[in-house]
Amino acid sequence: MSSLKPFSKLPALNSANILLVEFEEQFQLSLADALVEETAVTVNVRLAKSLPLPKENEESRPRIDLVVFIVNMMSELSFQSTEASLKHLDPGFFLGKVCFMVTNARNASVPTERLDSVRKLAASLHCPLLFAEDQTPAGVTNATERLLTILKVTAGHVPMATALYLSNLTRCTVPPDIDQPSFD
Amino acid sequence: MEPPDTVGNLDHMVEAVALSGAPDSSTGQNDISPVDMLRIKQQMSNQCFEMKVQIHAGKSKRTCSTSEAERDLPEYVSELERVKTSHINRTLALHRMQMWHAIGDKLKQNDSEANSLKALGDRCMALCSHIKQLQKESRAFQDDITEIQKKRLEMKRQTYEKMKEMEELMSKKQHPDTEKYKAALEKGQENLEKHKKMTIMTQNVLRGILLACKVNWLDDPKLRDITMTLEDFPISD
Repeated sequence: MSSLKPFSKLPALNSANILLVEFEEQFQLSLADALVEETAVTVNVRLAKSLPLPKENEESRPRIDLVVFIVNMMSELSFQSTEASLKHLDPGFFLGKVCFMVTNARNASVPTERLDSVRKLAASLHCPLLFAEDQTPAGVTNATERLLTILKVTAGHVPMATALYLSNLTRCTVPPDIDQPSFD
Repeated sequence: MEPPDTVGNLDHMVEAVALSGAPDSSTGQNDISPVDMLRIKQQMSNQCFEMKVQIHAGKSKRTCSTSEAERDLPEYVSELERVKTSHINRTLALHRMQMWHAIGDKLKQNDSEANSLKALGDRCMALCSHIKQLQKESRAFQDDITEIQKKRLEMKRQTYEKMKEMEELMSKKQHPDTEKYKAALEKGQENLEKHKKMTIMTQNVLRGILLACKVNWLDDPKLRDITMTLEDFPISD
């Protein structure tokens, strides 16, 4: 069982590789379409349902700069699959090359504990937590822009910033009263 | 964390690739401008830096709990931020100096570009003085507005006070008058009731007498008048 390692391969010139991991395999398609439209950098998008990645592609797979876990708040399976996938990631990735993206967090039928547990997970791993809206094209564009910003830093294209530094600035924090009942 | 040897090897490999210059690997563009090349060079140095950091991190290991590490983290981060901001400020200052030096040199040359620069500078001056004047005017207007608002507030306050006074007076007026005359009013009403009862009783008596005497009061006009007035008062008790 191989785990994904951040520095085991050479980076390519003027390109960035992003891996989108999503259990439902829906949002990642629209995100991928929007991501490859970026012109300044060659963005390669790899899609996966969960980790570990199949061994057959091991050789041809390029170096992954950013791993994005897309968690759908509407299903519990999504979160559990994400948690299971995290074990197959080399710890070197968590220094800024992992990002969590949550969809459908505004829905009223979502239990608040699920969002809290995602928050705590992201905070304990020191990773940024993004919220995205996947139903409208504007939401997809918005999410793409934010992902591209983080991707450019992790691929080394931004002069004065490294992935570790950015993760320190954008990491998710848990508010101290998260275990108390909220007012909605 | 993977062994530092592989990352070290990779580091050397990347440098070798960079030196040999492999432009036909992924970009596929035949003419890369110098700006692009500088950009790509910066990217590669950034990536090499990251890998060096990884190697270095692998070397100096010390065992401590996560809570200790979390406590130390903010200090290091703020130190980093301080150094970065000072570096950026100095770079900006350097760029500013370079720019001004270049502009000064250009102006000394006195050719068409210098003339356009001078014209631009004059236009900026004119705009700035215009801005200053407009700002003065707007400040004067703002002061006027504040004065008027103060006056309005003062007037509102006075109106409010007057209304309160009026309310007070209105509520007071009811009381003193009624209090004084209440007693006299009650007495007067008692008297009225008494007299009313007496009159009714006398009229009943007179009516009884008339009926008992069996007098024909319809024919006699004086008697008829008296009997008519008897009917006005209601028969009570």
